[in-house]
Amino acid sequence: MGATRKIGVAAAMVTVLAGGGLAFAQAGQEADAEAQMPTPAASSTGTNYGNDAGIQPIAFPHAIHARDNQIDCAYCHFSAERSVSAGIPPVSTCIGCHGPGKVQVQSEQGQEQVAMVLEYWNNEETIPWVRIHKVADHVKFPHMRHINAGLDCTQCHGPVQEMGVLQQPDDAWGDGKMGWCISCHVENDASRDCTVCHY
Amino acid sequence: MSADMSSGIKRRDFLKVVGVGGAGAALTGCSTESAEKLLPYVVPPEDITPGVATWYTSTCGDCTAGCGIWVRTREGRAVKVEGNPNHPVSEGALCQRGHASLQHLYSPDRFTGPMQRVNGELQPISWDEAEVLLAQQIQGAAGNVLFIGGSMGPTMADLVDQFLASVGGSRVEWDGLAEAPLREATRIAFGSDVVPHYDFESADFIVSFGADFIETWISPVAYQRGFARATGVDAEGNKGEFVYVGPRLNLTGQNADEWVPIPAGGEAAIALGMASVIAGRNGNAGPYAQILQAYSPEAAAEATGLEAATIRELADRFQNSPSLAVGPGVAGQHRNATAANLAIHILNSVAGNVGTRVRLVENAQSAASRPYGEVEAAIRSMASGGVGVVMVHGTNPAHGLPPAAGFDEAFAGVPFKVSFASEPDETAAMADLILPDRHFLEAWGDASPRPGVYSLQQPAMEAVPHFDSKQTGDVLLSVAARAGSPVGPATTYDHLRNRWQALHQSVGAAEDFDAWWRGALKEGVVNVPVPATEEPAALRQPDAALIFDQPAFDGDGEFVLMVYPSSRFGDGRHANSAWMQELPDPVSKIAWHGWVEIHPAAAERLGVEKGDVVSVTSPHGSVDLPVFTYPGIRDDTVAIQMGMGRENSGRYANGNGVNAMTLLPAEAEQPSGGLVHLATRVSVVPTGDVYRLATIEGSDDQSKRGIAPAAYIGSLGQSEEEGYAEEGGYEKKPLEEMQMLGGFGAVQVDGKAKDWPLPGTDRGDYADPETPRWAMAIDLDKCTGCSACIVACQSENNVAFVGEDQLRMGRDLAWIRLERYYETVDASHAGTLDVRHLPMLCQHCNNAPCEPVCPVVAAYHTPDGLNGQVYNRCVGTRYCANNCPYKVRVYNWYSYADVPEPLNWQYNPDVTIRNTGIMEKCSFCVQRIREVQNKAVVEGRAIADGEVVPACQQSCPAEAIVFGNIRDTSSRVAELVENERTYRVLDKLINTQPAVHYLKKVTFHEAEDGTH
Repeated sequence: MGATRKIGVAAAMVTVLAGGGLAFAQAGQEADAEAQMPTPAASSTGTNYGNDAGIQPIAFPHAIHARDNQIDCAYCHFSAERSVSAGIPPVSTCIGCHGPGKVQVQSEQGQEQVAMVLEYWNNEETIPWVRIHKVADHVKFPHMRHINAGLDCTQCHGPVQEMGVLQQPDDAWGDGKMGWCISCHVENDASRDCTVCHY
Repeated sequence: MSADMSSGIKRRDFLKVVGVGGAGAALTGCSTESAEKLLPYVVPPEDITPGVATWYTSTCGDCTAGCGIWVRTREGRAVKVEGNPNHPVSEGALCQRGHASLQHLYSPDRFTGPMQRVNGELQPISWDEAEVLLAQQIQGAAGNVLFIGGSMGPTMADLVDQFLASVGGSRVEWDGLAEAPLREATRIAFGSDVVPHYDFESADFIVSFGADFIETWISPVAYQRGFARATGVDAEGNKGEFVYVGPRLNLTGQNADEWVPIPAGGEAAIALGMASVIAGRNGNAGPYAQILQAYSPEAAAEATGLEAATIRELADRFQNSPSLAVGPGVAGQHRNATAANLAIHILNSVAGNVGTRVRLVENAQSAASRPYGEVEAAIRSMASGGVGVVMVHGTNPAHGLPPAAGFDEAFAGVPFKVSFASEPDETAAMADLILPDRHFLEAWGDASPRPGVYSLQQPAMEAVPHFDSKQTGDVLLSVAARAGSPVGPATTYDHLRNRWQALHQSVGAAEDFDAWWRGALKEGVVNVPVPATEEPAALRQPDAALIFDQPAFDGDGEFVLMVYPSSRFGDGRHANSAWMQELPDPVSKIAWHGWVEIHPAAAERLGVEKGDVVSVTSPHGSVDLPVFTYPGIRDDTVAIQMGMGRENSGRYANGNGVNAMTLLPAEAEQPSGGLVHLATRVSVVPTGDVYRLATIEGSDDQSKRGIAPAAYIGSLGQSEEEGYAEEGGYEKKPLEEMQMLGGFGAVQVDGKAKDWPLPGTDRGDYADPETPRWAMAIDLDKCTGCSACIVACQSENNVAFVGEDQLRMGRDLAWIRLERYYETVDASHAGTLDVRHLPMLCQHCNNAPCEPVCPVVAAYHTPDGLNGQVYNRCVGTRYCANNCPYKVRVYNWYSYADVPEPLNWQYNPDVTIRNTGIMEKCSFCVQRIREVQNKAVVEGRAIADGEVVPACQQSCPAEAIVFGNIRDTSSRVAELVENERTYRVLDKLINTQPAVHYLKKVTFHEAEDGTH
């Protein structure tokens, strides 16, 4: 833990911007709100909407979307194949399926959550998702290179399609250590040069 | 490299020890520790892909040159400005001031919104209230409305004129850098009421009578490019010559092959003397034949102290090759400046340059015709109570005019004063109402900088949300409507489109207007072909009385005072930018504060040295400044830069230097109406105080180290050894001496840059002969020292500024340092100064002294040959900087990058921001290399030569820098390093084997130090 250092004073804003399709106007203020993130409930896998820990503003079950309905990750994370950033779906992407007269959610729990999405949409507000996956400010992770190399999203992000509430799996991400990145680079004969990721 | 450290602590342990101590706010490598929010768009903008830059074309609005630009935006923020390669003015390059326009866009000092002065204090007011108030005041002024504007684009000028015609008022234009005498001289000489356009590129013999065309004169980016193409030596060994005639070498003059140091105001005599020699042969003088008889070379020699033979010889050279004479520029605006400009027109005309290299085509946009003459009349009108409402836009007369003009008093007396300034300035400080304009990167507009070039200015981003600004055109349209005199459509954008509809018809485009307009926005410019040459305009009988003789100077001081435009601040408009303040002046290498340039011999007479504070006193005012001794100025002349001494600007400009205009009389040159700049004599008296200069200049002497050697043009092609020319200086190689003593001996063989990994070394994973080897070649025969690369690098790489005190301690962070050395020339008729410029950046040595001394392998060599600097490994021992012979490594003593909001909006998200305790240096723009590599891999193709362009190369107006893969034998850089002029700095001394190659400057004289 002590071996790495925070690089970048004003980096908070910069990384938020580099990280996704974001409304830059609000990013500066929101990113300042640094708080310890609660641990996601261990039971929150599968098809439930378990958002007990209240992490996310809306319970978004990746399992229902990615597993039950077989929606490709890149349908929502639209820029992963062509950009360093995978892209966070704009609210309009949600509305594309859940807008009035479109896909009807069966469960009462689900309908509650969809109603919240519609409220954001009608108020023309952005949904303040809490960021789960993040590399440090001094690390560059070009999504398109990894997807181009044939990696599956789950190799880094864990079994997202099994998760009710997205969480960071312990075994993936190597507990935040760079060695986990390197071991994959070694196995796949990818570059181990520092300035591939750090500049 | 991997050996244990002597104490038995392994490098990893050492890292832990140091790391724990210094990591108060540690983040682990790949985890989430804080609840950072991800805020998606509600509806995504069509043109934004997160993580991918979106570029917009526009036109730089920072001066009248009208360079086409590309604005790089990321997630909706403008992060960098670059030249538009498809634009005929900039051709992809940009000057330092253009790069720094971002600093004004995001300036923390910008007005937060419209303000009204109540009881002397500015109070926020809504746009509605402000516009109603202004409309009422205008109605009450009954037609006595005065609009003082700067230089503006054709649409804005037209809109303002329509507004004033509707509400009743008049417009005057004040631009401190306007070339009024040149325009007037052009009208007198040829009947064309324009500022000419000059073609430097096709000239083989260029004479500048003082014009600073590399720094500020008319169109510096385009002219510098043309100049570098004309005077850079080509493959056949041809090189254009440049002679500078004037009392002080500006940066342009420092690039001259010869300096003829004439007394201030003597240029008309020399130009006429040269013209009379040429006209005596070809009889081209027209109505000026008689005048030329009076101004023989002998007469000119007597007036200027030169030899008549020198003038004859210059005339011969001027006549015998495609030539061009320019000048004298704003610094040379003396009381006979129109005559001086006319003399230079006559010289160009008799030599047959008019119509080819001097172009007189009418243009939609030109300098103000009588800037100071009209302002003088406006001041009289204000003082006499004839103005009810005065509006000031895009100009700052309260700072730019000499106090004797009486602007402040007259302006203060106007009942209602409006400023459209976006940032605070001295004029706005007196205004009753402030209606902050948009920055040009947020606004619509256009420019027509040269005949046939129609350039569009479009917003590159939404207005910066911290500031409630509104485009002045829109305000005027709204106010006109509220005052009951509406002017056409409601927005500037509609006016712009309407005007361009007329252009669309006149160019006869095949597409309909909307398609054509979209094309124009995409390209940024519409080019209407103009003929390559025009019928040479004949000289006309002068219709004004002109005096070609030496002008009069006020007072009886020992020195003539030159007040010259700043290559960083212009006339002061660019001063509130930390980038410009921290950029060392290209001539003096001083940052932040002011100075007065004095010849060393004169300084000795006065008993002062560099840094001693002197009082400079003219009949009009007095200032105290530290001395900068400069051998490039005559010993009867002193010089002070314009644009400093700001009092009511922002936090970066206020209090730095003095306002040189306070030493000048308020006088209009006749008949042009331009303000005189070269008008007074001054006395210089030591005060006894000493000011420690904030300068990056270590030494102006190469001490025979062969850092910036030159090659004599006659010796080109005669070198026995191909490529990697020997540099002179030492007889023995110090490296060999050290190795004999058992000292530094990492690598004992010489090597070329492409030879990485070094023969006989084991670098394991970090030596891959299959990868590219990135390298750079810098042609010092083209480099002018303009310093645009430094600011481009700063913008691209999030290089922080440190401020005057830190800079004085040597803590500045610039990744490029423009070194300037003096050599001497043995020249009978000319000055003896031979100035060398050398951009010094990380040399990315194969055998890098910084690498083995880093205890944590933060400085290391990458497989593709870069000298890498891994910020997250760096623990700040600074061993690397101590061991770097080039002194290009800079250290973050504090968190310099912690800048006030919203300056941080400019940061490039592709580059890590460094904080306290981190060493940094030029990375060869590794983020650009990786971006191109990522793109090429995804598209399944190889990287083409020239695809990776670092920010310095991209910006260079002189095209001096070439970057590429040196292992690719067909690349441009591989070709250039085999040039006979190529050398590597200090390589022969210490065997560092750099990847940065320099091509020697070529001189027309044999260098005295034998360094060729």
